[in-house]
Amino acid sequence: MKSLVYIERKDGRPVNGSLEALAAAKALGEACGVVIGAEAGAEIAPYAPVIAIDAAPACDDEVVALLEALIREKTPDAVLFSATQAGKDYAPRLAQRLGGGCVTDAMTLSAEGNALLATRPAYGGTVYEQMKVIGPVKFATVRSGCFVRPEAGEPNPVETVPLSAPGGAVKAKVVETVTEITEAIDLEGAEVIVAGGLGMGSAEGFHLVEEMAALLGGVVGASRPAIEGGWVSRAHQIGQSGKTVAPRLYIACGISGAMQHISGAMGSKYIVAVNKDPDASIFKVADVGIVGDALTILPLMMDEIRARKGL
Amino acid sequence: MNILVCVKQVPDDYAEIRLGGDGKPATAGAGTVNNAFDTYALELAVRFCEAHGGSVTAVTIGPEGAQSGLKNLLAVGAGKAYLCAASGEADEGGTAALLARAVELCQEREGAAYDLILCGKESTDEISGQVGARLAERLGAAFVSGVVEAEPSGDGLKARQETEEGGVVYEMSLPAVLTIAKPAYDPRYPNIKTKMAARKAVIPVLELGAAEPALVSCLGYSEPPKREAGVVIQEKEAAEAVKKAVVMLAEANVL
Repeated sequence: MKSLVYIERKDGRPVNGSLEALAAAKALGEACGVVIGAEAGAEIAPYAPVIAIDAAPACDDEVVALLEALIREKTPDAVLFSATQAGKDYAPRLAQRLGGGCVTDAMTLSAEGNALLATRPAYGGTVYEQMKVIGPVKFATVRSGCFVRPEAGEPNPVETVPLSAPGGAVKAKVVETVTEITEAIDLEGAEVIVAGGLGMGSAEGFHLVEEMAALLGGVVGASRPAIEGGWVSRAHQIGQSGKTVAPRLYIACGISGAMQHISGAMGSKYIVAVNKDPDASIFKVADVGIVGDALTILPLMMDEIRARKGL
Repeated sequence: MNILVCVKQVPDDYAEIRLGGDGKPATAGAGTVNNAFDTYALELAVRFCEAHGGSVTAVTIGPEGAQSGLKNLLAVGAGKAYLCAASGEADEGGTAALLARAVELCQEREGAAYDLILCGKESTDEISGQVGARLAERLGAAFVSGVVEAEPSGDGLKARQETEEGGVVYEMSLPAVLTIAKPAYDPRYPNIKTKMAARKAVIPVLELGAAEPALVSCLGYSEPPKREAGVVIQEKEAAEAVKKAVVMLAEANVL
């Protein structure tokens, strides 16, 4: 199966999820990255052959128009995206334009004849669906953390394609970009994550989560109530509406373990849970659980760890 | 502004859905609710019209029983509601095609076009997040996803999309399709008066016909790999529990 993979870039680098999607495409057969910006081609070449679209689109409508033109020209069997906000916008829009089926959040992908098979989560992640996509061109967004990004090797060929979005492509114009969250948070790549939820009680209580993360050299995660409480920015959210993570150690503090959250952390190697409710479902997935108020337990735990580390 | 809000009925997302004896998701016991993101869309639409004038219509594709979900929407600010009946299994493209047909039929009945069509950013059951985008393409309308604020701007609309870094403000001409994320507020509750009025409302049923042949089909289901539950430590003294736990973490070599 011949695939194109849209490579999303952030801060002048390909995002991890796009490289993981590239790995997924390689397993299906011939794979080629697609990147916007003539200069960006060389960045992707160490991973796969790449098509660099020589254009500078001003907004999503133009990106979609450029990708539509390229897909029509190259006639791939499948087009993959990372399941980011942008990928989840582009894939169904292009699928609609090109008359293709599309699956969201693919965790596995395989080819069966001319069909694309995918596993994806539904119902907050308690159920996996085996999907079959048919049609001349198949689309999928690939969930982060499900494929191993390819190693960089010798540069592959770069094809630069000059394209321009047709007039009238832009219906929604960007008038302002507001940056509120400037911290760079790499939850997907984190070795240790300390996450807090409703049980932390307040922004002040949530500081304990941050302190524990700092002590362990880890990254701060959160479940939805902590985000909605305004205790931490949504860039830290783990779960169905946030990131999917797979750290070596995951410490869940004051998190009850709703599937919408825990589905994003099930790939963790070792889960520690602190919760005052002995019946909390988080204990069903934790390697070690402590029944107790996280506000009491965390300071004691930090003392104990500091003592062990000789700090 | 005339606003149409597309609402899907889903199994209550507070219930944990597992596979039943037949190997399919056991949704029967969960109860049915309006998809949470769709209720945010409705609240955003109602607030928009309270501030700037206009009408809010809710539309659901579903069985006769979906009437009650629509009545709940009439009780929290929707002015009108339509139930649409369709046959066949629709994938996301098929659903968008049915909704496009529903838009057309509702507009015919109203004798006016919708300026703005809102969908939740995803449904809590299938979580595919495709239908809004596909509907926009189908209608040739402007599209912005994950919107948390909207206001009129000249003859068009200004909408703020929530992003990982903050937000992006878009300006667009109408008609537009927006998908709605969780805004800063919660949907309102009905009161006795609005509930009584909604209960009496007669909701017209529109026939959409058969869904297009699906390009995406579900071959089967499985459950995520189970994690073995480990040790749960419960002690009278918190310090004692912590000591035990930290010893275990050290032994597991994860510190």
